[in-house]
Parts: sequence; structure tokens; C-alpha cells
Amino acid sequence: MLTALIVDDEAPSREELKALLGEAPDVEVIGECANAIEGLSAIHRLRPDVVFLDIQMPRISGLEMVGMIEPSALPHIVFVTAYDQHALKAFEEHAADYLVKPVDPERLAKTLDWLRSGARPSTKAFPGADSRLQQIPCIGRNRIFLVALDEVEYVYTDICGVNVVASERQGVTELTLKLLQERTPLVRCHRQYLVNLDRVAEIELLENGAAEIITQSSKRVPVSRRHLRELKDRLLIV
Amino acid sequence: MLEEINHLALIGSLVQQMCVYLVVAYLLSKTPLFAPLMQVTVRLPDKLVCYLVFSGFCIMGTYLGFQIEDAIANTRAIGAVLGGILGGPVVGLAVGLTGGIHRYSMGGFTASACAVSTTVEGLIGGLFHFYLLRRHRADRLLSPLFALGATMLAEMTQMLIILAMARPFDHAARLVAHIALPMIVANSIGAGLFMRLILDRRETLEKYSIAFSAKALRIAERSVGVLMQGFNVDNCTRLAKIIREETGVGAVAITDCEKLLGFVGTGADHHIPGTPISSPHTFYAIKNNEVVYADGVDIVYSCAVSKDCKLGSCLVIPLRGEENRVIGTIKLYEPKTKFFSSLNRTLGEGIARLLSNQVLAGKIEEQKRLLAQSEIKLLQAQINPHFLFNALNTLAAVIRRDPEAARQLVLYLSTFFRKSLKRLGNEASLEDEIEHVNAYLQIELARFADRLEVVMAIPDEFMHLRLPAFSLQPIVENAIKYGISQMIEPGRITISAQRTDGVLSIFVEDSAGLYQPAAERNGLGMSLVDRRIKIRYGAAYGIDVACEPETYTRVAIRVPVEEELVPC
Repeated sequence: MLTALIVDDEAPSREELKALLGEAPDVEVIGECANAIEGLSAIHRLRPDVVFLDIQMPRISGLEMVGMIEPSALPHIVFVTAYDQHALKAFEEHAADYLVKPVDPERLAKTLDWLRSGARPSTKAFPGADSRLQQIPCIGRNRIFLVALDEVEYVYTDICGVNVVASERQGVTELTLKLLQERTPLVRCHRQYLVNLDRVAEIELLENGAAEIITQSSKRVPVSRRHLRELKDRLLIV
Repeated sequence: MLEEINHLALIGSLVQQMCVYLVVAYLLSKTPLFAPLMQVTVRLPDKLVCYLVFSGFCIMGTYLGFQIEDAIANTRAIGAVLGGILGGPVVGLAVGLTGGIHRYSMGGFTASACAVSTTVEGLIGGLFHFYLLRRHRADRLLSPLFALGATMLAEMTQMLIILAMARPFDHAARLVAHIALPMIVANSIGAGLFMRLILDRRETLEKYSIAFSAKALRIAERSVGVLMQGFNVDNCTRLAKIIREETGVGAVAITDCEKLLGFVGTGADHHIPGTPISSPHTFYAIKNNEVVYADGVDIVYSCAVSKDCKLGSCLVIPLRGEENRVIGTIKLYEPKTKFFSSLNRTLGEGIARLLSNQVLAGKIEEQKRLLAQSEIKLLQAQINPHFLFNALNTLAAVIRRDPEAARQLVLYLSTFFRKSLKRLGNEASLEDEIEHVNAYLQIELARFADRLEVVMAIPDEFMHLRLPAFSLQPIVENAIKYGISQMIEPGRITISAQRTDGVLSIFVEDSAGLYQPAAERNGLGMSLVDRRIKIRYGAAYGIDVACEPETYTRVAIRVPVEEELVPC
């Protein structure tokens, strides 16, 4: 049995794909999402085997979204696009799987066959999958928003999840600290904290060898002893 | 004999001398030789002319003088001093020296004293020049009073030099006693009058050039833009009328290379616009790209159309277009009873240049318009593939769910394509535009389902108003592409219109507020629409964008209301 998630901002498009997938007896559509942020959340929550992912979506495209998926949770990705010459070319180069809209049932059957054969998903297969992120999708106060990276002061984890703190606003993101550390210029300063060095106003050294960063909007970020040296080096060099 | 010399008589004859002298100066002032004297220049050729003219006057002063006591009472000083004042120390010195050497060659017991004093006089004039320039009072150089003063000083110096150098001294002293006053008075007044002459001449010239410029400017002002709208019979006739009114010539004609395009004035009864060119002068001007002037005396002008034509002289000036090629001519005529004024002759060439530029500018405008037009055509023909495939994909889904709705969508799709592809002509009614936009929006509504809401609020009474075809749809498409489709929440597009002071404004507002002014991506379509409207109606019209980030983007399309006559 293959579990599938459909991420597409157009309702008729999701509806059509769902109907086509419904014709295959061994495929179960376990969720539908209308944008990349919902999509990320659903992938991390539902862990589908395959995601049918539209490229043209509001604010965060399908390609950008792949770069935001935690590598350990990465499912098979099948891109779906109406018309995107650049993307199609990239897919050909990376041997990534894709479908064009309107979806041809025979072409879909081939894709499903290939998925059933048990090929392992790989980040490398997707163009843009390991590229740097420009913005972090967040949920806060019942709305979804994007925080541009240069606006972020720091990021930390607590029981609510991964919190993104900007000077003006704050939200929870689906992205993990590890992924953010890898794909953004944010720097680890504590087991639970990443900080934006461009936003550091001062560093206060503490008696126990640790320190505290004071950001430009006067927020305090802990620095563990373990990360202090590295941070100092970075600040001198950067 | 000496006793017979009467001061008054001497002054009288010196004044007579001075009069002859000034008459020569007056005559000379009518020649181009005088031009460099009228302004203070530093150009070497001008200085040279200055030297030659004043040396001439210097020598003439000596010849006009008369023998008195083995010396010469004269008006030589005027040339030397004025040469210095107008030409500077070097010219003054050179003029003085030339005059001095010439005087020396005439002999007499004051020969060497006069040679030296004339040189010094030139130098004095030059020093005055130098002094005034230093004080930045170059305007005073042409002051008659100043010239008078300088000459007076120079003449006094001369008298002193004569006393100092001429021997025997008592002879010299007697001479000076007699001639000093008459010479100082005559020379000073002469220099002042001479300067006045130069000044008058300059003022006349200035008046002439002011009148000339005023005329030229008025013609330029009145004719501006006329030919830019096209080099045709209507515009040329209008223009010929303006030129005739301003120049007052007998008649004005404008032709292209084959036929008469406009004729106004005497002989208009048989010089009919639209008829082929018949004048050999015009053919010659076109063929050789040359100005032809048939003054009716040396070069005979006779009307090639009618024997009874009253026109007697003609100036034909080619109009030049790209790469200086002849594109037509402008012709000024005077009747047989009147002479061609030189003012109008010069003006004619200026007008021709002005018109040539206008025709050229008009061509460039026309080309710009055509380019914008063809770019829009290209945009129209280039149906956005995104839109096409998304529409087909939506259709595939809708067919499964609701075949009747799908049928309706197919109709909208074909309306949209038909309108996009088969839009002939440059203008459309707002109704046409709305129909196009509506077909487009129906498909997008199906595609975005509950994410898109459309509010169409255009009053019916605007529907017949006209605007350039294909102006509205690209703006609405942008609102979807860069607005609604980038919204995570549902969005709304509102299309409204208002009419104020003869301007129709159509507003397309989306609730996304994602417009980025600098970004190229905000649509080639939008800038093309803007450019096309501006080229057509002027810079006051076109597209304005107002954006409140994350709240709305409102695009206003403004066009002038051109009431179409709708049969009731």
C-alpha cells in the first residue's frame, strides 16, 4: 500500500489527481494541502510514502518546499506542473520524477509502478533540494506568514516546537533546527538556539564561562560554553 | 603768417576734417569689416581686422590733416586711441606705431615727436582697455564719453611729447600754443562720435537680430508639433498659413518630392495642393539638395502653372529628413511688385530646418507607436502557456464533476481566445474589454475555486467609452498572477471605474498587496499598456499603481474620454 499526499493550491487540480489516484487499488490519499506550509506540516505529521507536489504555489514554490523538508522525513516527491520549462529541464537533468497537467493516466501509472518498485528517495534527486533558504514559513496567532531570513534574530526549540523570533514578530515553524542550521546562515550558539550574527548587538560574558547575546531589539539569547569559542571565531572572521 | 592762425578757424577746419573722417567711418560701418569691432573679442583674426581698420584711420587722419608751421594739424589720434581701446594694448601699440611711422615718413620738424607720440597714444588707448578689463567693466569699452576722455588725455600727452622732443624748442612751444586746444577738442569729440557710431551700428544689429529671433521663435512656437502629426495636405496647409502670417511674404508653399502639399497666399487659385510639382526651381532644389533663390532679376522666376500669376520671385529650400535626404521643399514667394527681404531669406532657411526636424521627430514618434502596437500584438498572440495548461487542467477536473459547467467553461475559453487572437483595430469599447476580462476571470474563478472572489463594478453608462484595445486584460492577468495566486488566504479582485473631468479611470484592485515597484516581474504587459496609452494620449495618462503591502494593490488605467457618437 502506498500512502500519498497531494499538495496543490488549486482545488480542481487536487480533485482531479485524487480521482486518478483513486483508480489505483493500492494507493491511499491520506491528505490534501493547499500550500507549502500546510504541506510541510502534513509531511512531518503523516509521513506519506509519496508527495504529489505542485510547483507553482503561493509564496513558497514546490521546489523551495522540498528544501524545507527534514531529510529524515523526506518522502518520494513527484512534481506536478502545468507548464514550467525551466523546472522541466532541471527535472530531466536530475532524473527527478514529474507529471504535467492535465495528468495523463498512463503516465501516472508508470510513475506508480516505479514507486512500487521501492526506489529510495534521495534529496540529491531534486533540483534546489539542498539550496539555501530565503525565508522561513511560520504559523503564529492563527495565521501563516513568511519571515525573511535577514529579519530573523534567533530561533529556538521548546515544547511548542521550533520558534522563530524576529524583531517585530514571532512564530512557530515546521522546519527543524538542524535543517535551518544547514540551509541558512543562522549559527548554533546553544543546544536549543540558532542566532543570526547580523542581528547581534553585543555579547555579555558570564562568570561560568558561558555568555549571553543581546540582539538588536534587546532580546537575550543564551550562549553555551561549548559554542562560545566557535561563535567568537565566527564574529572575528565574519 | 603765424599770427594769422586763428584758433576758431583751426577748430573749424579740424572739425571739417573730422566730418570727412566720420563719413568714411560711417560708410565702413556698413561693411562686414566692422563686425569684429563691435564686440570685444580675443580672436586673433578679429584683432588683426581691428589693427588694419584703425591703422587705416590713423593714416587717413594724417592725410586729411593740413600743414601748419611745418607740422600737421590732424585727427590721427582718433584711430590710434580707439584701436587701443577696442583692440587692447598690443593692437593699440601696433596701430600707433604704424600711424607713427607713416607720419614720420611725411617729415617736418615734429616728425619724430609725432611718431613717438602717436605710438604712445595707441598705447594709452590699450592701457585703458587693459584697465577696464581688469576691473571687469568691459561694457564701458564702447562708451563714447570714455573714448572722448581717453583721447583727450592722449592728445595732451602728445603735446607734452612734442614740447619735449621737437627742436628748436621755441618753435615747438609756439606750435603747441596754437594747435593744442583745437587738436585736443577736435580729436576728443571725433573719438566720442566715432564710438557712438560703432555703438549705433551695434544697436541696429541687435534690434535686427532681436526682431529676427522673435519672428523665428514665434514661428517655432506656432508650428510646433504640426508636422509631427504627419506630413500631409492638412498639416502643411496649416503650417503654410502660420509661416505666411509671421513672415508677411506673398505666398508660402510646402511640397513633398512629388506634389504640392500646402499653398497659402497670392496665387492660391491656381496653386492647388495635391497637384504635382511643376516649377523647375523646385525640381532643381530637390534634385541637388540645394537652396534655390530666383530673385526675378538675375534668375527669372515665372509661374509654371499660370501666365497671369502675380508672383515674381521665389525662394526654394529643401526639407531634409533622415541622412540629410530631401523629403520635400518649402517655398516662399513675393509678388512681382515686391522685393524679397533678406530677413525673410535667412528666416526661410531656419524654418526649413525647423520643419525638417519636426518631420523627423514625427517619423520617430510614428515608429515608436508602431513598435508599441506590435509589441502588444505580440503579447496578444503569445497566449500565456501557464494559463492555457492550467485552464485545461481545471477543465479536466470539472468535466469529471459537472459536464454542464465544463461546457460553459469551454465557451468562456473560446471567447477568451477569440478575443485575444482576433482583435483588429487599435481601439475597443470598454464593453469589449470587460467581455474579454470576464471570459478570462470565469476560467480563473473555476481554477482557484473558493480562493478567488471577483467584484465587477463598472457602471453601464461607461460601457461605450473607448480605450486602446487589450488594455484591461493584461492588468487583470497581472493581478491574478502576481497577486491572488500568491495569496495563501482567499483573495478578491475588484474592477471599478470612474469618470472625472474628461478622464476615464479604470481600477483593478487585488487584495494581495504584493506589488513590488522595482521588480521586473510585475509584468511586461503592464508597462506595454502604459507606454501605449502614453504614446497615444500623452504623459498625463497611463497606468498608476498604489500598493498597501499585504492589503491591496490598486492599478489605475487612465485614458481621456473620447465620446463616441452612438446612434440612439
